[in-house]
Amino acid sequence: MRNSLILLKTLLLSTSRINRYRHCTDKRKRGKLAGGIVGVALLYVMLMAYCIAMCVGYGAYGLIDAVPVLCALTVSVLAFVLTLFKTNGYLFNFREYDMLMSLPFSPGAVAGCKFLYMYVNSLPWYLSISLAMLIGYGVYAHPGAPVYPLWLVLSLFLPVIPMLGAALLGFLIARISAGFRKTNLIQTVLTLIFVIFCFSLRFILEDMFRNDKVQATLETVSELTGSAAKSYPPAAWFAAAVTKPSLPTALLLIGASALLFAAVFAAVGRSYRRINSAMKSHAAARDFRLSEQRQHSAVRAIAFKEWRRMTGSTAYMVNAGIGVILAPLVSVLTLIIGPDRIIRAVTQGAPLDAAMLRPAIPFIVYFFTGMVATTACSPSLEGKNAWILQSLPIEKKTVYQGKMLFNLVLTVPSTLFSILCLCAAARSPLLDTLLYLLLGAALCAFSTAWGCVCGIRHLRLDWENEIEVIKQGAAVAIYMLPNMFAVMGLTVLAVFLGTRMSHALITAVLILVALALAALSYRRVLRLAA
Amino acid sequence: MDISSSRAMLDIRHYSKSYGEGKKAADDVSLRVMPGDIYGFIGHNGAGKSTTIRAVVGVLDFTEGEIYIDGHSVKDEPIACKRVTAYIPDNPDLYENLTGIQYLNFVADVFAIGAAEREREIRKYGELFEITEALGDLIGSYSHGMKQKLAIISALIHHPKLLVLDEPFVGLDPKATFTLKELMHELCRQGTAVFFSTHVLDVAEKLCNKVAIIKRGRIIVSGSMEELTEGQSLESAFLEADSHA
Repeated sequence: MRNSLILLKTLLLSTSRINRYRHCTDKRKRGKLAGGIVGVALLYVMLMAYCIAMCVGYGAYGLIDAVPVLCALTVSVLAFVLTLFKTNGYLFNFREYDMLMSLPFSPGAVAGCKFLYMYVNSLPWYLSISLAMLIGYGVYAHPGAPVYPLWLVLSLFLPVIPMLGAALLGFLIARISAGFRKTNLIQTVLTLIFVIFCFSLRFILEDMFRNDKVQATLETVSELTGSAAKSYPPAAWFAAAVTKPSLPTALLLIGASALLFAAVFAAVGRSYRRINSAMKSHAAARDFRLSEQRQHSAVRAIAFKEWRRMTGSTAYMVNAGIGVILAPLVSVLTLIIGPDRIIRAVTQGAPLDAAMLRPAIPFIVYFFTGMVATTACSPSLEGKNAWILQSLPIEKKTVYQGKMLFNLVLTVPSTLFSILCLCAAARSPLLDTLLYLLLGAALCAFSTAWGCVCGIRHLRLDWENEIEVIKQGAAVAIYMLPNMFAVMGLTVLAVFLGTRMSHALITAVLILVALALAALSYRRVLRLAA
Repeated sequence: MDISSSRAMLDIRHYSKSYGEGKKAADDVSLRVMPGDIYGFIGHNGAGKSTTIRAVVGVLDFTEGEIYIDGHSVKDEPIACKRVTAYIPDNPDLYENLTGIQYLNFVADVFAIGAAEREREIRKYGELFEITEALGDLIGSYSHGMKQKLAIISALIHHPKLLVLDEPFVGLDPKATFTLKELMHELCRQGTAVFFSTHVLDVAEKLCNKVAIIKRGRIIVSGSMEELTEGQSLESAFLEADSHA
């Protein structure tokens, strides 16, 4: 137990921005670290503001009693999804595995500490949601004093069960994959399949609820709690514990979390060594015969290196590749089952049809393919390999051009194919289709260059775990958030303007805007690389 | 080839490097490596060898002093410097997701080496280091020594004028160590300058014609092997210089 605490403390210290700030003597680096700490704190504040705004809305409609269960479900879903994306890299296949396993820790203890490390690292996000909702609930529901400490304490346990569920799932995928020769490939494919299944499940469930007219009855708190309890009991325990308030129910949530933790890591510990050995070892044929080689440009060589880097890492592949895989799948599905059913599922019955949504097609596709740009994390992903590119006789801009070329190769075909499918499904006119394709390509160019700007400006090579860069890096967050909000805004704008003027005209203007932004970002890349 | 009148292949002038506001890792380091030299860079752990080497090859930036490679400033013309330099770090972290041949092709593409030439060079060095059969495997499957061999091959296939090696013999098997030493001699005869750091004084004594000893970031002795040893062993000369510094 003592050793586990030491390990957990060391794991947290080794990646703590505050620790690096305290011990860094370089003023520039200290400034960057302080900026990073403030930036992350701002994100927490933004998330809290969003959650409080949500509570205000619930309060205004007299649905404030639904907030505890909403809080439990939001934190649980977020914890499950984020953990699923991070399990590989945090729990398995991490860099310091050999070093840790050579120390007197049991495999279960290492796995447990890694999980707790992941939990502590993510906790501020979940607490931001939970605290903000407690504030909102406190203002509108005027609960008794015991609710506050109970809510706070249970907020610490709320993410544990979904995180354990995701970790267990990641473990099962890793265990199945460990039996195959191409462990990482199998693991990537299984994880992607599961993520796609999760996305589909959401729509299936929504459709089921709609068919049963559950939507109409969701406005009463007791029924909402009841339906949540049926599908996910810990959310109901949380809501019951804080609204009644009930200490036994609170203890039930805490006890279940602790028991599940012990059970999961007793099971994981048994196969932990085997899974990691399989992931860290590579099949070696040792039968290579040198034959004719080909010469390529440096830019292409770097782009190819990027491709191998991505396909060699399950965490990178799942996070960066999910959009480019999902976009064509969803588009083909739309083509098969028709756009109206999809629109109904996504917009929850809003009065929209395929023709109205046509101008938004490039943005809908871009929402999948452009939300992650490999250029935002690939400069930092060089990590300890940075010496290779730094010592080669190539200008920095060539390196970034190679990275950008790879992102374009990754996103453009998927984007164009998906737009084409959606246009066919929505029976878009030929000219509009061509313009949508151009807009899709222009958006890809923008995302590539803008991602590269973020990647260079927030370069971080001293990471311990690639997840720190792929999922939690400042570059990725700064790339993604404005990009996401801008796309949402542009989607609404395009649909709104589409009802008043020619789709072709709107799209032509948007192409010019996207191209201008891409050109500006590319110029910035060249300047940063100078 | 006549190398006596050539300019220095590596010319380090008053180079200093400090990390943040801490102590200097390299302090007023100056040395010259001529074409055909095998120059040993000797010192304790943490003496500043790797800090100097990393600045020479353009991996580490620096503010004080100047470093010239083949007459080009590392600060002002880094690309021109790197075009004639090859670097082999002490612990080569290579792209584990590439196969050996993909990595060599990557380096060859960057140096714009033609298809026929790269094939010839890869074949030559692959056979010399007995690694050809493993070139189709992922670098992640390589042992430390195999990664070291691959890093050496990638350094040699583009015919550098300056070869910079940081503890090159660590992790190599005896045959590969011998092969590397022979190659260093051969390169030296062709006019390539070799600059390497080592802890192994016996190797330095047998291999180098010039040596510099660095302690706490400062060069305490430098010159030709004969001047430095004056008939005694390099080990004795090192210990003597170290105790007086």
